[in-house]
Amino acid sequence: MTSIDLQQTRRFRWKKFATEGAGRLIIFLVGSVILWALISAFLIERPDRYLPSPLSVVLSSADMLYKGSLLSFYSDTLTRLLFGGAVGILIGIPVGLALGLNRTVADMFYPLMNFFQSVSGIAIFPIIVIWFGNSDTTVLIVVLYTSFFPITFNVLSGVRAVPVRYIQAARTLGASRLQVVRDVLLPGAMPSIAVGTRLSVGFAWRAVIAGEMLAGRPGLGNMIFSGQELDNSAQIILGMVMIGITWIVLDHYLLRPLEADTIERWGLVQR
Amino acid sequence: MSGEAKLIIQDLCHHYPDEYTGQSVHALEGINLQVYENEFVAIVGPSGCGKTTLLNIVAGLLPYREGRAMVDGVEIRGPGPDRGVVFQEHAILPWRTVARNIGHGLELQRVPKEETRRRVQEYIDLVGLTGFENRYPHELSGGMKQRVAVARTLCADPVIMLMDEPFAAVDAQTRITLQDELNRIVMATHKTILFITHSVEEAAFLGDRCIVFSRRPGRIKTEIKIDIPREQRVWKEMGTNPKFTEARDQILHLVRQEVTSDDEH
Ligand SMILES: Nc1ncnc2c1ncn2[C@@H]1O[C@H](COP(=O)(O)OP(=O)(O)OP(=O)(O)O)[C@@H](O)[C@H]1O
Ligand SMILES: [Mg+2]
Repeated sequence: MTSIDLQQTRRFRWKKFATEGAGRLIIFLVGSVILWALISAFLIERPDRYLPSPLSVVLSSADMLYKGSLLSFYSDTLTRLLFGGAVGILIGIPVGLALGLNRTVADMFYPLMNFFQSVSGIAIFPIIVIWFGNSDTTVLIVVLYTSFFPITFNVLSGVRAVPVRYIQAARTLGASRLQVVRDVLLPGAMPSIAVGTRLSVGFAWRAVIAGEMLAGRPGLGNMIFSGQELDNSAQIILGMVMIGITWIVLDHYLLRPLEADTIERWGLVQR
Repeated sequence: MSGEAKLIIQDLCHHYPDEYTGQSVHALEGINLQVYENEFVAIVGPSGCGKTTLLNIVAGLLPYREGRAMVDGVEIRGPGPDRGVVFQEHAILPWRTVARNIGHGLELQRVPKEETRRRVQEYIDLVGLTGFENRYPHELSGGMKQRVAVARTLCADPVIMLMDEPFAAVDAQTRITLQDELNRIVMATHKTILFITHSVEEAAFLGDRCIVFSRRPGRIKTEIKIDIPREQRVWKEMGTNPKFTEARDQILHLVRQEVTSDDEH
């Protein structure tokens, strides 16, 4: 192999790495951190108070890791997110399906659902606190409540959008009503289920953070909140960074592969 | 016609209610029709004369109140695997591969996996899709999708196959190929088929019998026997086949009578 060939192969690999999957993600993250470090070092007057440098955030995280609080905050928050979000979604899918299947039932419940959808998770927070106190249960209920609506409404409209022809085709092949749900309506509603799941997890994530702040339960949200009280900006930024990175990782390793294996593979959406 | 009647329709009428005006649309009037075993019956008629209505009733997708419709002596009540349908817009499921679409009917009937695989492969080969077993519909051309739809229906082994303008949505060249192929498939499988079309040529080329419908409310105006052996039905040779040209011109004339300029749509 000549040196030119070698150079070209190398450049080609580099380009591939930079434009695909994990490589693209890493480059984006590293770039952002460098930009952040430059701004903090050269543009901000008192960086420790207003925009701590990446290094001081890393030091703060090392400190909290050493004390053992960081991982426990993080796992508390993640548990609430995944548990509350999963239950909300797992309830939302069959409810949305039932509403999508039956117009009479849907017309009956629609106003009620619409009403509660407009009353956000934060707005119901006080009443839940009165019922369950400043507890984990309260945070979980708010997370569940918040994640329930996006998925439910999306499944509902997704089921309705499945072409009648597909249902008829399955029926003439001998499908029972249940088989139509399994083979036609559920996969047909997958694009909406994917959108709904994304929205639900996203909203649930915000609800966890807000819920922890309001209920004062230990976790990332609370860590950010107490960072302000302690005048510890590094701790606040650490919390924000962890929230953002968690979302990117969830999206990249959970939601995107789910979509790639279903709706993209089936040609129902283009990327 | 020899053999027994697979489909029997007696004095069938249909009115569509119109919820907005309160009037109803009279779509079918006094239809009497029998389709015999191994017979290919083509229906032509002006647009809006009730052809699709008739097919939907036979498919069990549209409930009827006046008259009778029976398949294999059993009154039609809802859809069932004894009546396979090929729709104009293929309607194969985007989330199933070619093989899983074609095997869907057998899967629903809980036919054992091994037998399903064998029969699916047989029909994939029959419609010329060998090598495309694991493709998804969005990776296929329009003509290939329609082949999948035909194979899916055949594979479920219905008593009668219903086709509503199945080749209307593909280009002219593909249509000719698909018509030739359908002929070959009919020879190979001896299926009983009720076939709806706008195309007089298609009806004359494919049908053992061609039913001409009147304008709405659809009635059977005439029927024409097309007595050409299947082996001779190849497009290359049809242009010079006097039986074909005669039947085609006759049907064309009858359809033209129905389509007058003032209510053509
Ligand atoms: N769901 C419906 N509700 C009310 N009227 C209908 C409905 N479906 C069809 N019609 C009317 O019934 C008549 C027959 O319709 P049909 O679809 O059976 O015609 P067709 O012969 O298949 O027409 P084409 O050749 O254009 O497909 C038409 O006048 C149509 O407007
Ligand atoms: Mg029609």
